[in-house]
Amino acid sequence: MEAWRQYGVLAAVLAACTAAGLWGFTTTGGSLPYAKRFARALQEGAREGSGALVDAGRGVVIAGPIRKQGLVGEYAAVVAVLLAVGVTTYAYATRRASDPPDR
Amino acid sequence: MAHIHLGDGSFPLWALVLWTTLGGGLVAYVLYRLRTHSVETRHVALAGVAAAASFAVFQLNLPVWGGVHLNLTGLVGILAGPLLGPLVTVVVNVFSATLGHGAVGLLGANTLVNATEALVAFYAFRTLVRANWSAFPAGATAATLGLAAGAFLMGGIVVASGVNGSALPRADLALAVSGMVAVNLGVAVLEGVLTGFVVQFLATVRPDLVGTADTDSTDASGVAA
Repeated sequence: MEAWRQYGVLAAVLAACTAAGLWGFTTTGGSLPYAKRFARALQEGAREGSGALVDAGRGVVIAGPIRKQGLVGEYAAVVAVLLAVGVTTYAYATRRASDPPDR
Repeated sequence: MAHIHLGDGSFPLWALVLWTTLGGGLVAYVLYRLRTHSVETRHVALAGVAAAASFAVFQLNLPVWGGVHLNLTGLVGILAGPLLGPLVTVVVNVFSATLGHGAVGLLGANTLVNATEALVAFYAFRTLVRANWSAFPAGATAATLGLAAGAFLMGGIVVASGVNGSALPRADLALAVSGMVAVNLGVAVLEGVLTGFVVQFLATVRPDLVGTADTDSTDASGVAA
């Protein structure tokens, strides 16, 4: 398929989702963290709100339940274990695949 | 990024049983298929790496759309395939719930939602690649469609179940949930484009990982019939 058609379909999908996202953003309270937005919308119903779509000053933070319970170390440990197991197994599998077969 | 952010006890008992049964059934079916089909060790390892990446990103709140997290489930589906992908979503949800991010009682429902994202992304990507799409538009479109499917399923689950403690009539609840689904669609744009770039990169350096290179009789999911 021609590139312009591929990117045209992609642009249409992204535009539709962005439009829906903007509607949902204002309908469910504006600039609210996801968990708070979820709880408030389902308990109190849809409420108009506004605010910045991007809050660069806040930066990237670890999810509230983990941060507030002091489980950041456990979070890092789980990531490290999953990563170590995955990478080690991958290296092993790749090495085994490249070895000549036993005779 | 669809994820049901409610605490334990938010769903009525019948809904809890239903979604847990369906989620457990999906996992059982996937495990059965894995036992009856051979899977490349390399793909199991890749699924492990995908689980690590998905879990890590799952816990990071980004300062866009008011504060959201990504799942990378579209990427998980494309990389791990239709059998290992749902299992990765189980692992990520279990570890997340263990750390307090997501309710233990909603593991079944959240697994269904995230597994749907991975499955739809995988099949959409395969379809688009077979239609000679390039890696970036195929990856981005497939991931966005997968995430959109998950968002709609999440909304359907919440509306069908009802929420304990919410005095909203079903119509008002449906409207509020529609707004949440719409927010998820907005986040899907971000995640879809990100997935597109990752798939594009992998297709350049390791096309075999994303199924854009010939892989004999084994399909991109690493499953041989």
